[in-house]
Amino acid sequence: MPSAAPWCTMASRADADTPAGAAMPPPRGRGLGRFNLEIRQHVSPLRQTLVLLGGLVVGLVATAIVLMLAGVGLSGIYQEFVLGIFSNRMSISAVLVQAAPLLVVGLSAVVAFRVRFWNIGIEGQMIFGSIFATFVAINDIGPESLRLPLMLVAAALGGMLWILVPAVLKLRLGINEIISTLLLNYVAFNYLLYLLYGAWKDPRSSFPNSEQYEPFERLPMIGWENVSWALPLALVLAVLIWWLLNVSRFGFYARFVDANPKMAAAVGVPIAFVTLAAALMSGAVSGIGGFVVSAGIEGRMTQSFFLGYTFSGILIAFLARNNPLIAILVALFVGVLFVAGQSLQVFYQIPGSMVQLIQAIIVISVAASEFFVRHRVHWVRGGG
Amino acid sequence: MDFLVKWISNVPVFAVPFALAALGLILTEKSGVLSLGAEGFMLMGAMAGVGAVIVTGQPLAALVIAAIAAAVISLVFAALVVVLRVNQVIAGLAMVFLCQGLTSLIATTEGWTSRAIVGLAKLPIPGLADIPVIGRIAFQQDLVVYLTIPIFIAVQWFLNRTETGLRLRAVGENPEAADSAGVSVALYRTGAIMAGAALVGLAGGYLSVAVAKIWVDGMAGGRGWIAIALVIFARWHPWRALLGAVLFGAIEALIPRVAAIGVQVPQYFMLMTPYVATLLVMIWAAMRGNVRLDEPGALGRPHVREERR
Repeated sequence: MPSAAPWCTMASRADADTPAGAAMPPPRGRGLGRFNLEIRQHVSPLRQTLVLLGGLVVGLVATAIVLMLAGVGLSGIYQEFVLGIFSNRMSISAVLVQAAPLLVVGLSAVVAFRVRFWNIGIEGQMIFGSIFATFVAINDIGPESLRLPLMLVAAALGGMLWILVPAVLKLRLGINEIISTLLLNYVAFNYLLYLLYGAWKDPRSSFPNSEQYEPFERLPMIGWENVSWALPLALVLAVLIWWLLNVSRFGFYARFVDANPKMAAAVGVPIAFVTLAAALMSGAVSGIGGFVVSAGIEGRMTQSFFLGYTFSGILIAFLARNNPLIAILVALFVGVLFVAGQSLQVFYQIPGSMVQLIQAIIVISVAASEFFVRHRVHWVRGGG
Repeated sequence: MDFLVKWISNVPVFAVPFALAALGLILTEKSGVLSLGAEGFMLMGAMAGVGAVIVTGQPLAALVIAAIAAAVISLVFAALVVVLRVNQVIAGLAMVFLCQGLTSLIATTEGWTSRAIVGLAKLPIPGLADIPVIGRIAFQQDLVVYLTIPIFIAVQWFLNRTETGLRLRAVGENPEAADSAGVSVALYRTGAIMAGAALVGLAGGYLSVAVAKIWVDGMAGGRGWIAIALVIFARWHPWRALLGAVLFGAIEALIPRVAAIGVQVPQYFMLMTPYVATLLVMIWAAMRGNVRLDEPGALGRPHVREERR
């Protein structure tokens, strides 16, 4: 009612709008007005994308504010996050190197979240993946030409083994997998330390690392800067998982389980099998993630190679809306964050935890923006 | 005998963080909010506690500040789950990682990391402390240990004997009904989140100020997650949660003792025991029947007034 004078009272408007005699509840608010919420029934994909990108921008602005509070000026932020990354081949390759394991753990989270299995144990599965791969490496199992494939398979088995218990406990006893997968991270970490401070300590340096892998136990370079075959491996995994989730029958079942488990059960979808298979696959992919870090980047198993990957994996799956192909883009974006974070650490003495904080801020702002995808908010003037 | 007395007299100190954190979680979850951020709130309390001791030199004031710091950061969580209706699992996980990053960042820039502090002193009760055996176990503890039981009684009384507590539980069981009865779901849930986080923060502050007497990054070491498991094990009953906390306190107090008397167990296997024990406890709880029957009816479900259910 744009023509109504501002002093026009609510009561008179109500009288005008409603038929005589209709009972009106007394208005609640008294001030200038209130927000009214409406649930949107249909949201166009374009609108959804725009709002989520808006959330991302808000998160990045909040990040910039936090960085400025920590003593990095605007020009410094531009230097570290844009200029420093995209102006030279070295740092672009650093981003690509970092993006490979990030993409792998992101894919692990995507597979699990597609069947509503909250895999918070990515780090534990990475640890066991790397332990299995390192076992193959230091015991010289198999011929040299087959060593890398064997390590890859071992890593997948290790990760799978580490998610088996939480998956079975969830399916058989209904035990919350968030807590069980997370607790097993600590168990895996202590087992890793047990090995690295004991039997597997590097005999040459007696540092708590495994001994260095032989050259044929490391993923070879692709021939551009120091990018290894870890990246193509991760990209192939992304395409495979995309096919599995979006084209295959398994993916159709998984979508069914995600959308409505009761309905899925009623029409005969093998829910337990689908959930178990997806969980095991998620564990296997995380295990491969451990292999990618150890054999593709560090060339040995260290005691902290896995740190921070659980949350990065969740973040990538969340921002990519569980789409394996979009996950590639998001992994590159998170790779930029990691590399810029390392540079901030060197030049501004900002602790590495800043990267974690930035990731958390972005998740929070994007998650919050979903509210505006699902709801229409409008301001109702008057009210008393 | 000496081994037993030493061990048992250390149990309360290790049990208190679990007990207070589990109690805080029960308070929050009774309002229907799934609080997975406990680990983060605990870290926030622990970091703020050490910082406050360094700045003020007052361990008791530091514990209060620890509780307040956790309650303040929990406002972010409340805004996400109550106002913006974000998925409570995502919001809780994001809070854990936000607090991990934030506490590490603040402590490093302020120079609080790995800095030994004067912690909370023991407070022997005159007369009673000299009783053989029992005196050492029960009357040579610190103030927070003595206060834990009264805090439990107070929360239990609040939840079951006051009208506010009744409304809070109603909001957790059936927010739609509570809403139509004129109870503000948003207000009660926000209050429950903050009060719960304050208790979890106190638990964290106790961990750093009274137990470890130092701050290191990530020092909660999964205790927040163990507390979440304890709440499920206790089926949202405060006293059962206390029992579980004592059990875990006993396990944690045993770890250094075992090494001290010369039993040969690799230390890393000893350090695994709390997490393995948590899993076993969850399995045991699940075998006894469906846990879901006892959980608050609307746990994890946002209240959306505009939607009919």
